[in-house]
Parts: sequence; C-alpha cells; structure tokens
Amino acid sequence: MTHDDPFEARAIAAVRKGDSGPYDYLVSKYSKRVVAIAWSIVRNAHDAEDLAQEAFVKAFENIGRFKEGEPFGPWIYRIVTNLALDVMKHRTRFRHEELSENQEAARRDSAELGAVSNELAARIDAAIGSLPENQRIVARLYLVEQFEHTEIAAMMNLSEGTVRSHLSLARRKLQEQLADLYGGGDD
Amino acid sequence: MTEDKFFERLRHDAKPLRYAGDDFLPARMAARVRERLNRPATVSQFLAAWFRPIAASLAAIILSLTLGLTWSASHHDIADSISQNPIEFAMAGETFGVGD
Repeated sequence: MTHDDPFEARAIAAVRKGDSGPYDYLVSKYSKRVVAIAWSIVRNAHDAEDLAQEAFVKAFENIGRFKEGEPFGPWIYRIVTNLALDVMKHRTRFRHEELSENQEAARRDSAELGAVSNELAARIDAAIGSLPENQRIVARLYLVEQFEHTEIAAMMNLSEGTVRSHLSLARRKLQEQLADLYGGGDD
Repeated sequence: MTEDKFFERLRHDAKPLRYAGDDFLPARMAARVRERLNRPATVSQFLAAWFRPIAASLAAIILSLTLGLTWSASHHDIADSISQNPIEFAMAGETFGVGD
C-alpha cells in the first residue's frame, strides 16, 4: 500500500530517524478520528482524549515496529481501539459497566450532549447504547463513525465474519427498538 | 424495508452522533503529546528501564539452567537404566552385551 499523503510519509520517515518534530503533523491529522474512536467505545470525552494521547505516545515509542509504506491511520486506530477496549475490560472488572443509561448520560460533557440534540439521532443513540458491549462498539463504529467491516475487523482484532455477525445481531435488535421510526419488517 | 436499506438509513440518520470535538482539538492533542514525549523520565521509569533488561537476562539464565539440569538428570537416568539392565544379543553363535 502506498501513501496518498507525501507529508505523512515524510513525517513517518523523520520520526523513525528520531526527529519528533514532524510527529505533530500526524497527531494533528488523525487526532479527531482517534478521539472519535475512543469516544465511541468509552463514551466519555475526557477519557477519550486521554486515551488518544496515550495512543499517540505509544505509537511514537513503537514507530520502529510500524511497517514502512503503510498508511498511519489504520495503525493508530488499532492502537487506540485496543487501549479503549482495555479500559472497558477494567470497567467491567470493577463493575463500573453497570451504570444505567441515565447515569452514563449524566457523565457526558456539554460537547457530547450537543451531539444528541437531534431527536431522531438521540433515539438511535439510545438504541445503540442498549446493545451488548461488543455489538454496541461494532455498531457505533459502523453506523456512527462510518467505518467499513474490514476496518473495524482490523481495529478490533476480529475476523470480518465476526464483525458481520455482531452487526447482524445488532441490526435485529435495532430494527425492533426503532420499529416505529423505520417500520418493523421487510418491505 | 430490506436489512441493507435499514442500515443505510440508520447510517445516514446517525451522522449527527459522530464525534466532532472542537476546533482546537488537533492543536490541543499535538501539544499534549509533545509535552508527554518531552517530559523527562521519572525515577521509577529510569529504574524500570535499567531493571527490566537485567530481570529479563536473569530469567533467561534461570530458565536455561533449569532446562539443562532437567535434561542432565533425565540423561543420567537413561544411562543408569542401561547399565543396570544390560542388553544381550546373539550373532553367529556368539553372545554380545551392551552396558557390560
């Protein structure tokens, strides 16, 4: 795979040689998408930014393992996804995941609340939020962040078939929950 | 509605849910990452950087010693069992033994 962005290729080459300055370009270019991925998993803007920062630091420290010629995006997406999934495992272990949807909503900051101001979007958000963890994460990445099956599979270290299976299960539940908006069955 | 159509519409209607962050996010993130990368290592990180390779080397030495001793002990057992149970075989009217 080749780089579409020559600046990106040059920045990576410079970072590999020990020059940290051009890394700013990569951070600026990918920060919104990286924070969005973290946010779609942990659902908290503050944690999402912390995770994104951690992911960029980790990527910098392991730049030697990065395959030359590959785009930086999928690699950093995978790192932040793994970090965010680790946080979710930690939350599960300490039973923090048992926060109800209301409690979870109360934790969102104003920037996040702005995103759900649209009533239809708010219904979709609640429906996705009610799914089991893996289905919820895959559904958010696919429906909200608009990643494709292959990208999600690479990010979550799953097979494409597993991603499709999670989405299929999620679709059935979402169709039930949003039947009044989209109709219950097939046309 | 077909399943694909359903997801297609859902993807369209879910667009407002996409995390946008604020306009300063890229600059803020770049500054945060730069600060982390330029921060001098703490004492514990410094010690960890020294002790990690030492601990790894010690673990490798202990593992190879354990494997070596285990192999040596099992090798001695085989030699002992051969010497205690000599094998004899006859060829052309002569009897030969192994382990005598």
